[in-house]
Amino acid sequence: MDGDRSSKSGLTRRSVLRAGAAALGTNSIFAPAVFAQSGFDWKRLKGQHLEVSLTLGPRADLWQKYEKEFEELTGISVGSEKVPEQQHRQKVAIEFASGNTSFDVATVSYHVQKQLYGRGKWLVDLRDMIKDPKLTNPDFDFGDFARGAIDYATQKDGRLDTIPINLDYWILYWNKELFQQKGVAYPRSFPEIIEAARTLNDPKNGISGFISRGLKNANVPVWTSFLLGYGVDPIDPDLTMHTDGTEAIEAGKIYQTLNKEFAPPGVAGFNWNECQTSFVLGKSAMWLDGIGFALPLEDPAKSKVVGKVGYGVMPPGPKAQRSALFGDGVGISTSSKKKEAAWLYVQWATSKEMNQRHLEGLYGAPARASAYAAVKASGKLTGPKAEWLDAMAGSIKIARAGLPDIVAVTEFRDTFGVALTNTISGADPATELKKATEAFKPVLAKTEKA
Amino acid sequence: MVGVRARRRLRRLAGRAGFAFAVLVMISPALMVFLWMISLSLKTEIENIAYPPVFVPETPTLDNFRHVFEASPFGRYIVNSLIVTGSATLFALAIGVPAGYGIAKAKAYRLAVLVLIARITPNLSYLIPLFILFQFLGLTGTLWPLVMTHLVITVPIVVWVMIGFFETLHPDLEEAALIDGATLWQAFRYIALPLARPGIVVAAILAFIFSWNNFIFGVVLAGRETRTLPVAVYNVLTFEQISWGPLAAAALVVTLPVLILTIFVQREILTGLTAGGIKGG
Amino acid sequence: MSAQAALVDTRRSHALWRRVSGGAAARGRPYALFVLPALVLMAAVIVFPWLFTGFMSLHEWKLSQARSFAGLDNYLRLLGDERFQWAALRTLYYAALAVVAPLVLGTVAALIFHRRFPFRGFLRGVFILPMMATPVAVGLVWTMMFHPQLGVLNYLLTSIGLPASLWVYDPGTVIPSLVMVETWQWTPLVMLIVLGGLAALPTEPYESAQLDGASAWAMFRHITFPLVLPFLMVAAIIRTIDAVKSFDIIFVISQGGPGTASETLNLFLYLQAFAFYDVGYASAVVAVFFALIVTLSLTLLYLRQRTQWSA
Repeated sequence: MDGDRSSKSGLTRRSVLRAGAAALGTNSIFAPAVFAQSGFDWKRLKGQHLEVSLTLGPRADLWQKYEKEFEELTGISVGSEKVPEQQHRQKVAIEFASGNTSFDVATVSYHVQKQLYGRGKWLVDLRDMIKDPKLTNPDFDFGDFARGAIDYATQKDGRLDTIPINLDYWILYWNKELFQQKGVAYPRSFPEIIEAARTLNDPKNGISGFISRGLKNANVPVWTSFLLGYGVDPIDPDLTMHTDGTEAIEAGKIYQTLNKEFAPPGVAGFNWNECQTSFVLGKSAMWLDGIGFALPLEDPAKSKVVGKVGYGVMPPGPKAQRSALFGDGVGISTSSKKKEAAWLYVQWATSKEMNQRHLEGLYGAPARASAYAAVKASGKLTGPKAEWLDAMAGSIKIARAGLPDIVAVTEFRDTFGVALTNTISGADPATELKKATEAFKPVLAKTEKA
Repeated sequence: MVGVRARRRLRRLAGRAGFAFAVLVMISPALMVFLWMISLSLKTEIENIAYPPVFVPETPTLDNFRHVFEASPFGRYIVNSLIVTGSATLFALAIGVPAGYGIAKAKAYRLAVLVLIARITPNLSYLIPLFILFQFLGLTGTLWPLVMTHLVITVPIVVWVMIGFFETLHPDLEEAALIDGATLWQAFRYIALPLARPGIVVAAILAFIFSWNNFIFGVVLAGRETRTLPVAVYNVLTFEQISWGPLAAAALVVTLPVLILTIFVQREILTGLTAGGIKGG
Repeated sequence: MSAQAALVDTRRSHALWRRVSGGAAARGRPYALFVLPALVLMAAVIVFPWLFTGFMSLHEWKLSQARSFAGLDNYLRLLGDERFQWAALRTLYYAALAVVAPLVLGTVAALIFHRRFPFRGFLRGVFILPMMATPVAVGLVWTMMFHPQLGVLNYLLTSIGLPASLWVYDPGTVIPSLVMVETWQWTPLVMLIVLGGLAALPTEPYESAQLDGASAWAMFRHITFPLVLPFLMVAAIIRTIDAVKSFDIIFVISQGGPGTASETLNLFLYLQAFAFYDVGYASAVVAVFFALIVTLSLTLLYLRQRTQWSA
C-alpha cells in the first residue's frame, strides 16, 4: 500500500508524513518551488480551517497523500475524509438540501450528481473567482483544462460550479497471456469481442471469457458503451429516448450474451471490485470498465497479471467507435464561510503539479492537457504503463458521455440496471428494455420539466 | 442381567454422543463464522482470495489491523461509539426502568404500545426530518444527534424488557410496604428495583448491544469527527478490488468488544431472563 | 423532590381509593408519573419526524427542486407502482421465513441448552454471539463467504459433494440466503427468551406425565409447548418487527439485488429517499410501511395478551 508512487520525491508515504511532521514550520521538503514561483500569495488566509469531503477512490488517496503540502503552502489546516461513493452521494445531498453543509469542499461525479447540484445551486459559481487575480494563482492557467472537460463540467445555465478532476474513459482490459495461449487477437468489432470471449471462455479451468458489472445501476455504463457504438446516445438533449430502439436492443443482446454466457456465475451481483478481483487473479480474459484501474493491476502486491495486461481502446461498433466517458469534479459549497480558502484548496488540488502526479502515478486520467505533455516528455511511463497511456490517448479522441445529462440519472441507472441484470438471468432484452423505457418516461417528463 | 445393563449403558452412551453432536451442530455456525472472520483478518490478501481457501494462515500477520488503524482514526471512532452507546444506554435505563414499572403495575399496555411505536417505526424515516431538525438546532457535528436518535433504540428495549420483568415480580412485598405507609416511589426504589436487578442487567446489555450495532443513524447523522464504528467499518470497503483482510479486521474490531462482553455476561443475560419468568415459583 | 411529594399525595389518595373500592380499576393513575418521562422523550424524538413525514407525503418534493402540494398523489402513485407492490410481497415472504426459522431453531436450541452438560455456560455464550455481533460487520463477512468463486461456503459445499450455489448472486436464491444470515443472527434471541420460559416451568406436570408413561414428544406437545407459548409469542412479536424492518444485512450483502430480487420495502424506501431523493414519495412509502408494521404488531400483541403468563 505504501509503495512509492511519487517517483519525484523517492519517499514512501509514511516517511513523507514523518518528514512532513518534522519539517513543520521550518523549510519544508514540500511547497516545491513551482507553487511559489509566480509570487501569488498562498499564505493570505493562513490559520483558517477547511473541511473536505471526498469520494473514496484513487484521487482521494492522491489528495490526502499530498495534503500536508497544501497545509504547508498556505498555512490552512485541512480536515479531509473519504467516504464510499454511494454513501458520499447520499450524505452530501442531504447536507446540501438542509441548507448548511459541514464541509467546504466536496467532490462531485458529473454522470450522477451534476444536474442535481446545478438545480439546487448548491455549489459556488467559480467563473468570477477564476478571473480574479487576487484569488487565483496566475499559474492556475484555466485554459490548460481540456475544452471537453470544461464543457462536461459546465451547467446548462452556463455556470461552472466545479473544476474537473478526472475523466474516466471506458476501455477493454485484456489478459495478453490468455489471448496468446488461445491464439486470439485483440477484437476489432463487437462481434469479434463475442467471438474472442467464446474462444477464451474455459469454465472448467475457472477462466471466463469476459467479465463486466452485472450489479444493477453499476451495470448501465457497460450497456451504453455498446449503445454508443451504434451511433446513438441513450437520451438526446431534447429528451428523445433511444433506450428501446433497435440499437438499444442490439446493445442489450451483446450485454446479455457476454455476461450470461461468458462471465463467471454470479456476475449479476458483481460490481467493479468483484470484476477486478477476477481479472487480477487471471481468471477473466477481458474486462470492460473505466480506465482508472491500472494502478492495482500493475501492483505486484495485489495482482497476478502484472505486465500481462493489455489496455485496449474500445473496439468500434457498427456505426461509430466510442469510449463511454464519465467524470468527477470538485466544487465549493455555497454555504461555506471560507470560500476563498476553499478555492485555494481547489486550485492546489487541480494544479498542474497535482495533475501530473495524478497521471504519472496511474491514479487516472486528469483533465489538464499539460499533464499529458509533461508525462510523455518525462518518459517515466514505460512498458504496460505506456500502453495504458496510449489507450487513454486513443480514448480521448472517441470519448462521449456514457450517461444522459439529466437530473434523474440515478433513476435512469436503477431502472435500466434492473432490466439489464434481468437479462443475465435469461429475460429477453427487448421486453426488459421496453418495460424500463415505459417506466422511466414519466420520471423523465417530471424531473426535466422545470 | 449383565447384557441388559450393558445395553442400557450403551444406549445411554449413544444418547450422550447424539446430544453432544446436537450441541455441536447448534454452535458450529456461530463458531465457524467468527473463526473465519479471525482467519481472514490474519491472512495476507493473496491467501484470502486463494481457492481452495486457506483456513489457517501460514504466516499470520497483523498488517490488516495496522492498515485499518492507519487508514482512518479508528481509535476516535471507538471512543465515539462508546460515548454514544454508553450515554444512550444509561439515559434509557434512567427513564425506561420506572416506565416499565409503571406500565406493568398499572397494566397500562396502551402506554406500552405508545413507547413501542418508536421501535416499530422504520429507522430510515427518522433520518431526513431529524437531520434537518438537528441542523436547525445547530447540533450537527456533535455527538448529540447520535445520542438522541439512539434513544429511539434503547428506550423501547429497556421499557419492553422491564415490563415483562416487573409483570412477573410478586406484588406482595410492595403491597405490604404500601400498606405500611411507603410511597409508591419508595416501594419501587427499595423493593421492586433491587429485585429487578437481573432484569435491569439484561435490559442494559440488550440496549447497549443494539445501540452499539446501529448503522443507519450514523451514516447520515455522523460526520468526519463523530463517526461511529459500524459506519467506519463499512467505509473500509475499498474502491479497488475486494479487499477482505482489512474488512475482516475492521469487522473484528467492532464486534470484539460485544463478543467478549457476551461471553462474560451470558450467565447474567440468562438469569435475568429466567428470573423474569419465576412467577409464583 | 416535589415530584416525590406529588407521588406521596397520589399514593395516599390511591391507597384510600383502593381501600374503598378494593378494585384495580383506579390503579392506573398514580403510576403515570413513572411513565411520563419516557413518554415525553419518545414523543420529542418521534413526533417531529412523523409530522414531517405526514406533511411531506402530501407534497411533491425532490431534493434540490421546488416543493408543491400534491394531495394524495403520492399515495395514488403507490397504488400503481408495481415495484412497490412487489417489494411489499417480498417483505412478507422475507419476514415469514425470517420469523419462523429462528422460532423453530431457537426452540430446539433452548430445549438443548436447558439440559445440564459440561461447559454449558461457555457454549451457550458462543451460541448467542451472532446476535451480539454488529450486523454490518457480519454482513460483510457473510458477503465474503457467499462469493460464488472464492467464497468458503461453496468450497465447503463442493468438498462434501454438494453442488455449488450462487447464494446472494442469483435472484432465485438471494432471499433464502439472506434469511439464512438473519436466522444465524437471531436464533439466539429466541433461544434466550424460550430458555427463560423453560426455567420457569413447574416440575409437577412432568412427574405425573412420566408416571403415566407419556412420550417425550407428548410431554413437549402437551406440557412444555403450552407453557412456553407466551414466551414464544414475545419472541414472535420482536422477530416480526425486526424482520419486516430488516435493513443492514440486506443493504450490506445484496443491496436489494440482483435486480430487485431482494428489494424489500425498507430497501425500496431507501432507494426513493436516498438514491432518488424523492422525499415526498418516500414519505408516502413510510406511512404505508408503518401502517403495515403496526397492523402486524397489533395482531401479535393481541395474541400475546390472550396468552398471558398467568394463563
